[in-house]
Amino acid sequence: MATLTLNDKDRFLINQEGQDFSHEAKTFIKIRELALKNLKELDFPSKKLEDWKYTNVREVSKTEFRPQSAINIIDEKISAHKIPNLNAYVLVFVNGFFAPKYSNTIEQKESGFIITNLNKAKKDFIKLVEPHLGFQTRAKDQFFVNLNSAFSQDGGFIYVKPNVQLDKPIHIINLVDGDLVASYPRNLIIAEKCSEVQVIVSYETIDSNSALSNVINEVVVGEGANVKLDKIQNENLNTFHVGADFAKQQKNSVFTINTIPANAKLIRNNLNIILDGTNSVANLYGAVCLNGNIHVDNQTYVDHAKPNCESNELYKAVLNDSATNVFNGKIYVNKIAQKTNAFQSNANIILSDNASSNAKPQLEIYADDVKCSHGCTIGQFDDEALFYLRSRGMRESTAQKVLLDAFIGEVLDNIKTEPVREYVDELIAENFNSLN
Amino acid sequence: MLKIEGLEAEIEGKQILRGLNLEVKPGEIHAIMGPNGSGKSTLASVLAGREDYEVTAGSVDFLGKDLLDLAPEERAGEGVFLAFQYPVEIPGVSNINFIKTAVNEVREYRGLPAMETKEFMSHLKEKQKLVKLSGKLANRSVNEGFSGGEKKRNEIFQMAMLEPKLGVLDETDSGLDIDALRIVANGVNELKSNDNAFVVVTHYQRLLDYIVPDFVHVLYDGKIVKTGSKELALELEDKGYDWIIEEFEKKS
Repeated sequence: MATLTLNDKDRFLINQEGQDFSHEAKTFIKIRELALKNLKELDFPSKKLEDWKYTNVREVSKTEFRPQSAINIIDEKISAHKIPNLNAYVLVFVNGFFAPKYSNTIEQKESGFIITNLNKAKKDFIKLVEPHLGFQTRAKDQFFVNLNSAFSQDGGFIYVKPNVQLDKPIHIINLVDGDLVASYPRNLIIAEKCSEVQVIVSYETIDSNSALSNVINEVVVGEGANVKLDKIQNENLNTFHVGADFAKQQKNSVFTINTIPANAKLIRNNLNIILDGTNSVANLYGAVCLNGNIHVDNQTYVDHAKPNCESNELYKAVLNDSATNVFNGKIYVNKIAQKTNAFQSNANIILSDNASSNAKPQLEIYADDVKCSHGCTIGQFDDEALFYLRSRGMRESTAQKVLLDAFIGEVLDNIKTEPVREYVDELIAENFNSLN
Repeated sequence: MLKIEGLEAEIEGKQILRGLNLEVKPGEIHAIMGPNGSGKSTLASVLAGREDYEVTAGSVDFLGKDLLDLAPEERAGEGVFLAFQYPVEIPGVSNINFIKTAVNEVREYRGLPAMETKEFMSHLKEKQKLVKLSGKLANRSVNEGFSGGEKKRNEIFQMAMLEPKLGVLDETDSGLDIDALRIVANGVNELKSNDNAFVVVTHYQRLLDYIVPDFVHVLYDGKIVKTGSKELALELEDKGYDWIIEEFEKKS
């Protein structure tokens, strides 16, 4: 009998099996089957791939992560991950599974919106889910996107009817609890014509010695709609976080995303935005403040598919200790996308000899009447500014914090909800306590 | 208050100060004049603790403390203030937060409680008035987009807020029109008391019409080569520095 040799990927995929999705509608099972088929042909991304040159996920492939529901969830442990003073609708997921006890779902037909878990929506609102779920995530070559598509346990479903503005934001809390957990939360956000919604998605850890968070956010921004997404990544230092965000914008829409990778062992974000209608605006902001050995890799892709659209991208990083940062920003301007305005800026401050940052802007422009710009800086604190502040009586640590706040504040000022801003400020301050 | 003895300092291996002596007592205003490259700005920078300069010999005693042993912020806490020749622009830091942080850190150093917002605001308004600094500048980033005159007035404003014992003005008059010069000088005169002192580094006699010095020193080749009363400044304006240099070189 021939022996079958299994590679790391095969073993990894076997560990992900065993979840029963047979109750799902055929159309959704098809998405999973297609993703599984893609996974059979793909392998874990290696450093040989240009887009993965600086981010090594070999350890993920060799670790026996598997989906598992959390046991013994304690109320206090959940509430510790709420954002203080934030008045919001809350959805909680633990290890990718819905925790209804801690969530406020809104499913009444007469309300202007639906907030529930995706598995429920797949049954009760199949007509709303079907046209959009998986639509933006069909890329055959993305290993981790397919991994989530195949094994996602559950996630948030948000649907906003035309002309409806939500009275308060929605906070989706994704928690991980337990060892060797593979968590695949996946949110689907649909904002219909001229609606307005703000969603805060946070990723945190209850307790874990090792975890993989492989997440997806799919956003559909209807004509004239305004969607804000704040993504806060604050898992423990035993966690690998690989995520992808997708937004498809129809005409006259605005989509704004604030990405705050604060803690984990490794964070990889792929942000994909397609400006698929004229006069749309996409705002991409990222604030990366790292210490220790944290590695963060932000890959962004803005597809200007239609004319008269604008994208504003600002990513800033402050790196201490042995932290490493990667920024790869692609802007693609289709040949019909005349009058495109695309701006990209990436700035880094390196505080220690062992910290590093790799930045790569990529512009592909096929239209001839466009305004595109990109800029990238890597440096240290301005000595003149530091001396100026100190000569006015500020301790060196205070002076550094003042300059740090000013530098990163340019990005964080785009977080308009005060409690969220305070929460993020706190996370960042904790990462720079060593400056004291 | 300030006693400098035999001060020698260099930058990037190049010696600038070569045995400088200066004594300043409370209530006095000293003007430091001299040709370009004589070491005037180096003296100001060394007093404030700029790290690019290395002191190789001599001592600086400030109110019984070894000033050279103190970090820049400690010098500020002790009561030394340097008004910069080129005030630094700091994008993203509002002028008001900057000065509030500075005031409270200095107060903490001096063992005083942090200022209540109300008290701080009234203090702020009073000092803004002193140098005719528009309240609008408070919310702008430190020095960013300020005119030359606004930057220098902002320096005097900061000095007024921090209430130093020794104010060192490094060519504060350079690049100022006469109106701005008057405002700056008036601010200094208002702050002057029997308990504090000023060292005014300048190229031009013109500033000394408005800030009247008790002593005028000529700095040349890293040393003070001549000291006189305010009339010396007029003489320098009239005759230049060559006669002093000749006189000095004959002596040595």
